[in-house]
Amino acid sequence: MTSGLLDGYDQGGFFDEAIGEDGTARSGQENLVGWFDALSADDLRYHSTLRDDLLLSRGITFTVYGESQGIERTWPMDLFPRVITAAEWTVLEQGLAQRVNAVNRFLEDLYVGEQAILEDGVVPRWLVMSSAGFEREAFNVAVPNGARCLVSGIDIVRGADGKFLVLEDNLRNPSGVSYVLENRATMARVLTGAFEEMAIRSVDHYGRSLLAALKHAAPPAAGDDPVVCVLTPGIYNSAYFEHAFLARQMGVELVEGRDLVVDDHIVAMRTTGGLRRVDVIYRRIDDHFLDPAVFDTGSTLGVPGLMAAVRAGTVTVSNAVGNGVADDKAVYPYVPAMIDYYLGEEPILPNATTYVLWDDDQRAAALARANELVWKPVAESGGYGIVIGPSATDEELAGVHTTVEADPRGWIAQEVVQLSRVPSCVDGGLEGRHVDLRPFILTGESIEVLPGGLTRVAMRKGSLIVNSSQGGGSKDTWVLEDQATGAAG
Amino acid sequence: MRLDISNRTLYRFDDIVRESQNEVRTCPISDSRQHLIAYRLSLAPASRSLAFYDYWGTRVDAFGIREPHISMEIVAEAAVETSEAGPRPEPCEWEGLFDPSFRDLHLEYLERTPHADWGDRLSEAGLEARDGDDLVATVVGIHDLVRERMIYETGSTHIGIDVEKVLSDGHGVCQDFAHLSVAICRSLGVPARYVSGYLFTASDETGEDTDHDVVDVETHAWFEAAIPGYGWMAMDPTNGHEVGARHVKIGHGRDYDDVPPLRGSVSGEAGTEVDTSVEIRRMDPSHQATVVQPPLTHTDMEHLGFQPQQQQQQ
Repeated sequence: MTSGLLDGYDQGGFFDEAIGEDGTARSGQENLVGWFDALSADDLRYHSTLRDDLLLSRGITFTVYGESQGIERTWPMDLFPRVITAAEWTVLEQGLAQRVNAVNRFLEDLYVGEQAILEDGVVPRWLVMSSAGFEREAFNVAVPNGARCLVSGIDIVRGADGKFLVLEDNLRNPSGVSYVLENRATMARVLTGAFEEMAIRSVDHYGRSLLAALKHAAPPAAGDDPVVCVLTPGIYNSAYFEHAFLARQMGVELVEGRDLVVDDHIVAMRTTGGLRRVDVIYRRIDDHFLDPAVFDTGSTLGVPGLMAAVRAGTVTVSNAVGNGVADDKAVYPYVPAMIDYYLGEEPILPNATTYVLWDDDQRAAALARANELVWKPVAESGGYGIVIGPSATDEELAGVHTTVEADPRGWIAQEVVQLSRVPSCVDGGLEGRHVDLRPFILTGESIEVLPGGLTRVAMRKGSLIVNSSQGGGSKDTWVLEDQATGAAG
Repeated sequence: MRLDISNRTLYRFDDIVRESQNEVRTCPISDSRQHLIAYRLSLAPASRSLAFYDYWGTRVDAFGIREPHISMEIVAEAAVETSEAGPRPEPCEWEGLFDPSFRDLHLEYLERTPHADWGDRLSEAGLEARDGDDLVATVVGIHDLVRERMIYETGSTHIGIDVEKVLSDGHGVCQDFAHLSVAICRSLGVPARYVSGYLFTASDETGEDTDHDVVDVETHAWFEAAIPGYGWMAMDPTNGHEVGARHVKIGHGRDYDDVPPLRGSVSGEAGTEVDTSVEIRRMDPSHQATVVQPPLTHTDMEHLGFQPQQQQQQ
């Protein structure tokens, strides 16, 4: 390596995804690493400014909750991309498709099937019955093709040995894919030079793939060209940007609950040209706000009568209602067993080591080393409520003891994964920072994994918390073409 | 006993309502003690309802009205053939409750729910009602305790009232008696469920039979407790009568919220006045011990315009 930005780069004892243990670029990343290494600090500053200006002018923002009001911030994207080789991607792609397939089968079994997996005692019945995500109002409601997790976002990490692990499943309303596309669009304009030297698989078709999957999930009566819309809770939702983005990408209407009406169990949207029948609703509203006639009667976000229309089979709502039971973190430990049960296969991607706290022995053992584990409430997402043992205060750890003892079903504990690192731009140089990955998986005619995903990076030195809501950043994720098969182009 | 039921609910709004979306749960269930002969729902303004069976096995009719209206009338007519309950279960040892598969199958009926959330007062009542090691006698004891402590009084409570307060106040209507019994059962670890239905009686308070062929009543509620090796044992704490041929069950759930006769949403801010009347006609009062026909098969149900029922709770 020449004396450049990567001079004296320290892997810090972690698995670094770009720089091998010998200090040279990993296979397939030589050009990228060389390109960055050749940059001057001024170059880096110039590219950073260009990136910021682009993101700002395109209005790429996100909202952080938890303070008095939602705060809107410009999306943080690190310039150094995260690279996944073709061989690595093959494993991920197969493992993710397998996982989503099994979870779809599980949900079908629970809601419209024989509940065979409960009868056979593979997943404890009580665990399902006590899950806040098990939605009895969705019982016996059919979903075309069983595509319950039409969009899944599965959080993947790599530990010290570089192997991929599944950290959690997001099967309700996974968000972040808009940033995958925006990161790519921005990088293509900022890192023009680096791009040309790499054969990177495109992510630009996501909107088309999503639309195709949604149309495939339309009720049979919808005909050849089903009408799709995106249902958003509105501009105050943290992911509103994404809702608008996806509607635009697909070329479909973005609607709020008040724009939809249900008449005779048929859903239509108000348009300037009058009412227009809707066949598929890509909803980004939580289950309990979907229909005030069935759920929270105080809600004005949803559409009265929608659940009856879904039950009547005149319209499809994606993702399906009730998926929360499968991404309940206390059910997550059983996903490998689901893969075995429904598919008769070995799980390709293992789970992270997880302790179920309703088990007295596991709970006692976990609490005895509370300061070494990660503590997660089972029904939250987005990093909310998580306590990282090693960095928690005594007070926080005492809180873990109290809350876990009071509600053992409501928490899981996981071993800390020494997340892999990727060089990241810090203070005019490059330093390793920890990353995770959220790939997006579509259940359409077949299961399709978007080659890429949202790489989140903990920009604070030493931090393992990557959630953007918790101050993390992001990276463009480059899945390389398989050179051996000549797929580059 | 053949009973014909006409349940009429009239909503009067004090302002024009542009849209309402509703679910009705007024159709008698077919089970080992009763079977449904016919059911018809009439709606004004006219609307087409979607019939389905919910998670708890209750028939639901969902419908929406999307035209300006100031009143809404729902008439549910049902013809049911009922029979007396079988013999009460034999004494049952408490130990049976701890069987893992029994607990697993009844988990949903063991937990606290909004209308059956007990505190110290109910727990104490439970211990008082407990009859040694006999589960069946204990359930009867809970029923007796509720009857002793409570006075039937209409208009004194509302749906949503805390059962602890119901017990300390000492008065209520059938829903309160049922919720109270359910909560006390669960406080002892006995699975219990809330039952919505009708009772052919001269008086909602006393539950007495009558010589008349036609009675005007209200919807009724009672409870069922799960007895290992027996099934569900039904008790009517409001009036102390055996749950028998004069009881018509609509359905059950963890509490009222799983089987409300009507729920839904109404657009706008209009105030509502609800007027409900239930008329039950006994078709052959002199002939009480009728032959019970076999339960309807799925094919019969479909023939009657019903969707096949997938029973989850067995």
